[in-house]
Amino acid sequence: MAIENISVLKLRDILLITVPPDPDDRTISALQDQVLEAMERYESRGLVLDISTVQTLDSFFARTIAETVQMVALMGGRTVLAGMRASVAVTATQLGLTMGKALTALDVDRALDLLKTALPRGSNL
Amino acid sequence: MSDTHQGEFRIGSESDIVAARRLIRNAATSLGFGITDVTRIVTAASELTRNIYQYAGSGLMRWHCLTEGVEVGLELTFEDSGPGIPDIVKAMESGFSTGKGFGLGLPGAKRLMDEMTIQSEVGKGTKVQTRKWLRR
Repeated sequence: MAIENISVLKLRDILLITVPPDPDDRTISALQDQVLEAMERYESRGLVLDISTVQTLDSFFARTIAETVQMVALMGGRTVLAGMRASVAVTATQLGLTMGKALTALDVDRALDLLKTALPRGSNL
Repeated sequence: MSDTHQGEFRIGSESDIVAARRLIRNAATSLGFGITDVTRIVTAASELTRNIYQYAGSGLMRWHCLTEGVEVGLELTFEDSGPGIPDIVKAMESGFSTGKGFGLGLPGAKRLMDEMTIQSEVGKGTKVQTRKWLRR
């Protein structure tokens, strides 16, 4: 099966990535690679992962996201998970998932506001 | 009963995890489960399908609609001829894993569903049967 297309959007000092609704494991792994590559290429300070269309967040997906958050942190960036659906939040909590040190926001707008306050002064947002 | 409500699906590759999720999403949705229960059932199916792919390489997922009096439910069965689970009690502990996951697969799936039974024999295989009842 072909890897679903993931678009990495660079907005000033941050990256915005829209996670596809039902990604397979390879797509999720490819997403991590693309994030890290783009962090390096654009010297980004923040990352917003828009998961508003994601229907199923299982342990593999969560583990890869949590890892990515940590890798981005090592590269000096902050990550905001934006738009988790209520049904996904309920399920993830019952499953026992934790998302590491990710910041969270209801939507992308609020994620950008959050990064404005979380990132050091002088960041271009 | 329509085909959506029962069927079987052979798991043999990583992309089958996504396919299994879609089948179970359709079955649960058409039985009338709400969005949160559908998400719980699909997530449990995803964990159990991945277990088969990861530990046994291949196996079979079956699903069918249950009726008990006025109660309606969905039963999922995951069967493989893989290495089996030496210690089921240990495998049901959160955080215990011999694989590369969080160790949430089996205990997590049990928390998301209403009933779950595991039969396993080392060298023979594993059968996990799980149910979710529709709340009216």
